[in-house]
Amino acid sequence: MAQSKRQKPGKGPNLKPFYTALVIVAVAGIVWIVYAYTTGGGAAVVDPIELTGMDDPQALVSAARGVTAGDSDAPVQVLVFSDFTCPACRGFTSLMEQRIKQEYVEPGIIRYVYYDFPLGGQAQHRHSFIAARAARCAEDQGMFWEYHDLLFGRQGDWALSRTPPLDNLVEYAGLIGGLNVETFEQCLRSEQHADVVTANRMLGDQLGVNGTPTVFIGQRSFPQFNNWEAFKEAVRLEMPAGAMPGAADTTAGTGNP
Amino acid sequence: MSTAVRETEHLQEVHVETPPVTRMISAVLALGGVLLSAYMLLYKLGIIPALACGAGGCDAVQSSPYAAFLGIPVPLLGVVGYGAIFGLAIAGVQPRFMNDRRVALALLATCAVAAVFTLYLNYLEAFVILAWCRWCIVSAVIVTALFLLSLAEIPRLRRSAA
Repeated sequence: MAQSKRQKPGKGPNLKPFYTALVIVAVAGIVWIVYAYTTGGGAAVVDPIELTGMDDPQALVSAARGVTAGDSDAPVQVLVFSDFTCPACRGFTSLMEQRIKQEYVEPGIIRYVYYDFPLGGQAQHRHSFIAARAARCAEDQGMFWEYHDLLFGRQGDWALSRTPPLDNLVEYAGLIGGLNVETFEQCLRSEQHADVVTANRMLGDQLGVNGTPTVFIGQRSFPQFNNWEAFKEAVRLEMPAGAMPGAADTTAGTGNP
Repeated sequence: MSTAVRETEHLQEVHVETPPVTRMISAVLALGGVLLSAYMLLYKLGIIPALACGAGGCDAVQSSPYAAFLGIPVPLLGVVGYGAIFGLAIAGVQPRFMNDRRVALALLATCAVAAVFTLYLNYLEAFVILAWCRWCIVSAVIVTALFLLSLAEIPRLRRSAA
């Protein structure tokens, strides 16, 4: 309500506090927006980052890191380059990977190593990098494979989201008993593991991976990734003569190729 | 002598109207709303990579079909709407427009439209999208405050009509 005050001529109402408040709000808002623009506002890194020194193959192999399942002394090593947004990878996971784990990893015949190969781009794989990072955040708490199964199982719910599906990724973490969701979210909304995921992608490029899933059995690429009989035969050929696998340790771990 | 001087000073005093405090507060709140909407709009345009949203449902809300109204992104409507309220509130504290009936009417009407639109958005979040975005809630609080402050325009309109 306008108030009348009797003042001396030349002295208008004191609007200094009002204009000060406006300036404070304006400056705070602009600083916040600039901060969000330059740093993502404490937001998640959703794209590969720049890594230096990766021209050196040794450095690249050191920087890249797969997630392993199985006995580290298993006679056969299987490397899988995969992308959580890739439908063929989802098919491979449900048709082949579960069976590989049951029939080969658990008995200690195969050491199974999962590598990120985020396809990226603007189309259906645009969230592959953040999904790979999310799985690494779950791995920090020893829940990589549980989270990996959830991501593939619910791929249709999040992969085509227009914006980075951070809410979905956090929600899935909450479905895993024993996983600290707050810690997971802090990891997700940062740049943690962006280096490893980027290095894994670069390693795949160096190994000639040009699609997902790409499976290596030993040193050889295995293109018939959905053919169980062909897989069995390829593993048999890779087995060292007289190899007698013992009981397997199926705990997840990490390793280099 | 001193009594004469005091009387002279008294004669020189003039009426100076203090601008309505409600309009000043509205201007500050609306400026905050403009910046908040700009933040959301920059995210919508992909310039800011992600919203600082805690465990809120910003992504769900922003990627829903209701993130645009008649083809116009809702954050853009926010920038325009808050910008209009800010402009009107700033005009309303200037001596030239302080008692302007049109300013009072426009301020009341704009805040009322903003409140109705915010109610609609809150309904969508609660019953259709089933997700809440913390920034949308902040915006709803600002709009509610702006609407309540704009009710102070009613007695001004009555006085000016009398």
